[in-house]
Amino acid sequence: MLFGDSARAFGTLGVVLLLLLAIVPARDFFSEWYRYQKGYLRLIRGRDDAITLQRRFEGGIHQTWIPELGVVDRCGSCHVALKEASLRNVGIQPFRPHPPIPHSLDEMGCVMCHRGQGAATTVEEAHRSAKESEDPMVPARYLESSCGQCHMDKPTGIPRLNAGRTLLTRYGCVHCHSIVLPDGVKLAPTDDPPSLQHVADKTTREWIFAWIKNPQAYSGTATMPNFQLKDEDARDISAFLIAQSTMLASSAAPASAAASDAAALQAGASMYGESFCASCHAIQNAAGLLVGGNVGPELTRIGTKAKPDWLRAWIGNPKGYDPETLMPHYRFDDKQLTLIAGFLENKTDSDFMANVKLDQATPRQVAHGKLLVTEMGCAVCHEINGIHRPDNFAPDLTAVGSRPLAKIVFLPEMPRTLAAYVEAKIKEPRSFGSALKMPQFNLATGQVDNLVTALLAQTDRARTLPARLRVAGHASSNYEPAGAAGRLMRDLNCFSCHSINGRGGDMAPDLTWEGSAVQRDWLLKFFKNPNTLRPTLIRRMPKFNVTDQEAGMLTDYILAVYQTPAFDRDSPQPASDASQIEKGRQLFYSKYACQACHIVDPQKDKGYIGPTLTEVGSRLTAAWIFQWLKGPQTLRPGTLEPDQQISDSDATSLTTFLMAQKGHAKTQEAKHK
Amino acid sequence: MSDQKPFQAAIESDSRKAPVRIAFVTRRTSPQVKAESDQYVMTWPEGIFRVLVVCEVLAIILVTMSLFWDAPLEGLADPMQTPNPAKAPWYFLGLQELLHYFPPVVGGVLIPTLVVLALVIIPYFNVNVEAEGLWLRNRGKRLRIFAAVVLALIVFLIVFEVWAVLAPTVLIAAAMLFAAREANNAGRFRRWLILRPLSFWIMTWFLASASLLTGIGTFFRGPGWSWVWPWKE
Amino acid sequence: MPPTIEGYWNDLRSTKVWRSVFRSGTGTSTLHRALAVQQNVFLHLASVKMRRRSLAFSATWYLGTMSLATFLILTATGILLMLYYHPSVPQAYADMKDLQFVVSAGVFLRNLHRWSAHAMVFLVFAHMFKVFYRGAYRPPREFNWVIGVILLILTLFLSYTGYLLPWDQLAFWAITVGANIMSAVPVMGRKVRFLMLGGNTVNANALLRFYVLHCVILPLVAGLLIAIHFWRIRKDGGLHTGQVETPAGAPNE
Repeated sequence: MLFGDSARAFGTLGVVLLLLLAIVPARDFFSEWYRYQKGYLRLIRGRDDAITLQRRFEGGIHQTWIPELGVVDRCGSCHVALKEASLRNVGIQPFRPHPPIPHSLDEMGCVMCHRGQGAATTVEEAHRSAKESEDPMVPARYLESSCGQCHMDKPTGIPRLNAGRTLLTRYGCVHCHSIVLPDGVKLAPTDDPPSLQHVADKTTREWIFAWIKNPQAYSGTATMPNFQLKDEDARDISAFLIAQSTMLASSAAPASAAASDAAALQAGASMYGESFCASCHAIQNAAGLLVGGNVGPELTRIGTKAKPDWLRAWIGNPKGYDPETLMPHYRFDDKQLTLIAGFLENKTDSDFMANVKLDQATPRQVAHGKLLVTEMGCAVCHEINGIHRPDNFAPDLTAVGSRPLAKIVFLPEMPRTLAAYVEAKIKEPRSFGSALKMPQFNLATGQVDNLVTALLAQTDRARTLPARLRVAGHASSNYEPAGAAGRLMRDLNCFSCHSINGRGGDMAPDLTWEGSAVQRDWLLKFFKNPNTLRPTLIRRMPKFNVTDQEAGMLTDYILAVYQTPAFDRDSPQPASDASQIEKGRQLFYSKYACQACHIVDPQKDKGYIGPTLTEVGSRLTAAWIFQWLKGPQTLRPGTLEPDQQISDSDATSLTTFLMAQKGHAKTQEAKHK
Repeated sequence: MSDQKPFQAAIESDSRKAPVRIAFVTRRTSPQVKAESDQYVMTWPEGIFRVLVVCEVLAIILVTMSLFWDAPLEGLADPMQTPNPAKAPWYFLGLQELLHYFPPVVGGVLIPTLVVLALVIIPYFNVNVEAEGLWLRNRGKRLRIFAAVVLALIVFLIVFEVWAVLAPTVLIAAAMLFAAREANNAGRFRRWLILRPLSFWIMTWFLASASLLTGIGTFFRGPGWSWVWPWKE
Repeated sequence: MPPTIEGYWNDLRSTKVWRSVFRSGTGTSTLHRALAVQQNVFLHLASVKMRRRSLAFSATWYLGTMSLATFLILTATGILLMLYYHPSVPQAYADMKDLQFVVSAGVFLRNLHRWSAHAMVFLVFAHMFKVFYRGAYRPPREFNWVIGVILLILTLFLSYTGYLLPWDQLAFWAITVGANIMSAVPVMGRKVRFLMLGGNTVNANALLRFYVLHCVILPLVAGLLIAIHFWRIRKDGGLHTGQVETPAGAPNE
């Protein structure tokens, strides 16, 4: 009997066990990807191209495996139609095709850009893994951050990342936070916080007090952040800054009486305009709009800030106060100096410091001010007497894009994602604790997004990617011109606007091969009286008041040194017979339609895009024009001039025609005579 | 009844088959010999099928669990990032809980070593092989020894603030005293307790302490090994 | 007589093939039943007869049987899991993800292995306590008790070494905590830990070491000891029938 019972129980239970085990493989048929693939087949069934789509569809788990990149992506198991461009109008995910991008999907996989967990085959785990060590997908608005893992150059098409990286340097984030790009280049700040070692020469304690309380009240474009100081703290800091300041002999030059009558102000204003100060500095106009560049500080309230003596000495020779300044050394004479200084001193705003009443600073206040300045890390950006520049003042952000969520202290009510955290940190750093040192930056929402994008690009993955994927940024060059001409170029700060051999600004044309391009006489005259070449440009080369001897030295240096090895600037010029010129004219106007962008005859040509060519024959060398026509991009990469595959004979004719355009210069010469 | 002999003797007659045995039946005992009451059954099929059924039941339970309850998998191991608290597997949590009270040498080495040694030598520890009730003989002397040992243990546990062991210790000691009390009309449970030998009490104390420690370590310990209530998030 | 399941069963058992495999024959006589056990390599460790009382559920709660069952389940699932597993960093973790997401029934396999492992630790502990309270450790079974204690420790080690293999945070830190306890052993603690981990911290060496211990060394040793444990049950007089011995001199009611 026992046998019977046990055996029956054994048999029954065995069947139950086998049935249970049979459920196990059946579970695969309830998986999400299987359901989505069924859905896809239903979706395409009724379409015209159903047969093609069906033939290309393959069931089962799809996987992109790129061992080199550590990519195991199974996203294609649900996103089955990524490569089916004909489904572009299908709005249903996961069946939308991927929008066109410059990379192949098989070459990169998905998680390289979108992040998330590529190995997962469930919606939740793949997109929004809640595990603390696992990356969820990056929100679409920060998607460009992923490009930054390889691209250290600044390609078009990823404006947010590019702008974000610029902001990191422009707003001085990298003074305190160390950020090393994936290619090992450390981001260097491009703002230039002034040294405060002689600040008392420049301004008053009251102004410092008002400024550090709220820099944006003085200038809306000021990049200095708001440290949200208490009145006592601002009082003590200003006391210390004045106390530590030493006097510079050069600032003490006595001002001749600043003219302030209306006529002098008018003259000063036109001096300001003629000197193209607005190329770098902005001033609010009557409507409250800023007019001018953002290279130098805004000057709307400069008279409130700068002491007259200092302002005059500064304009006279900026390098006397700050050897590193980008401002050129204009060679103003005494009268010009008086006019322009007078104009600027008149730019005041009595409201700015209306409520600032400071008593004489006590030694205790100075000492407390020094303590505050040390603690708050003012010396990270500014040079201050008696305080060493602290290193690693703020956390290193090189790997911030891969910071594990477990190491992040979120605010309550905050989405638990890295992007949300970084955004909140930039937007309102003190919301994480009033004792935190990070100041409040004055940023627009778009700028915050750009910064978050740039920071999320700092991933661990980026540093382990194979070197061949990396597109390096333009290496910064420390090129220095030599000799007396080099000294002059430094004094005039040519590199603030022009770039030569990879160093310098991008406000004005690259001059690396200028020696091959221009004629001596023209360059000499240009230095004495620069005018713009392009009719539509606002920024123009200022007149530096250089002496004839200086202009000659600079011209000789440029012509001798800045030549391209590709051709000889003095190669023989084609004979300029009238038929060649006529042939060139026809080519210019009909075959190549150059007048669309250039002006040769000011009476009838309307091309405003390229430089005016009315006097090109006295400006450029024939060799340069010929080579330029043959291949503009080889001479100046990125120029707008199209490469029209001009034949040698056509180019010769065009060159002859263009070299004959000296008309305007001739009339000028005639005037001189 | 002086004519009655103090004992009866019998001699088995079939001396060729078995050696001669003499059985002495003392007074106040029954002459009945404990019979060999064990019935034997064949291992196949009775034993084997029972074993198989048990195995199947277990397998069904485990398979069902595995179908509906997924094993935990956390993020990739990261030596730079310590979870708080970092917990050992559950069967070591009693030990980890001990480490919270004692220095590592005591909690992590001495105590587990002693426990394992004790387990190994139990069967060789020849005292009280008959498993006689603890309080059935030498009650007074034993009570004194018991009091001394338990007091020393309690003082030791209080000094180290090992509340998790102190509680079962006190409970078991109370139960032992309850069993030791002299009473004529003991209930069934009391009588059962009275018959427990010393080894039972020690093992029960060990089992209670280990279970409590493991339970606390598993459910009631949060960040920094601080006390948390599992039902409060 | 109408065909019954039992009838087919008996037909099957009288085929030539069946008889060539099971030499005990088809009969239900005591001899045949004895041979069924004796002639079987897996069953011959047991005696051909056992006490009826020792089969009662209350006698053993079948805890030893269930411990063996979990060991067998663990062996089967463990071998299957080995097909998908690389003991290297960080591939080990990626293999867990593969099991979870692409291997058919991979999650089930891992679940079954893990829950059986926990069940085995629990059952072995329970088995030990049950044996103790039944008094089954007493002579002549004292040596089998010692083997049991060793098997308990082996079970813990098996579970502990397996704990590291997924190479997730849970695994890593549980093993780190365990290894740190070990380093508290006086004099040679650090050396023991170094030997166990193949380094001073839990790293790729430790993973490989634990893998080899978990999949080869410990199961072999445990298998051997289990065989001895079973053999000794028979040699020590069969399962302890478990009556709590009445202490001499106990008062009858």
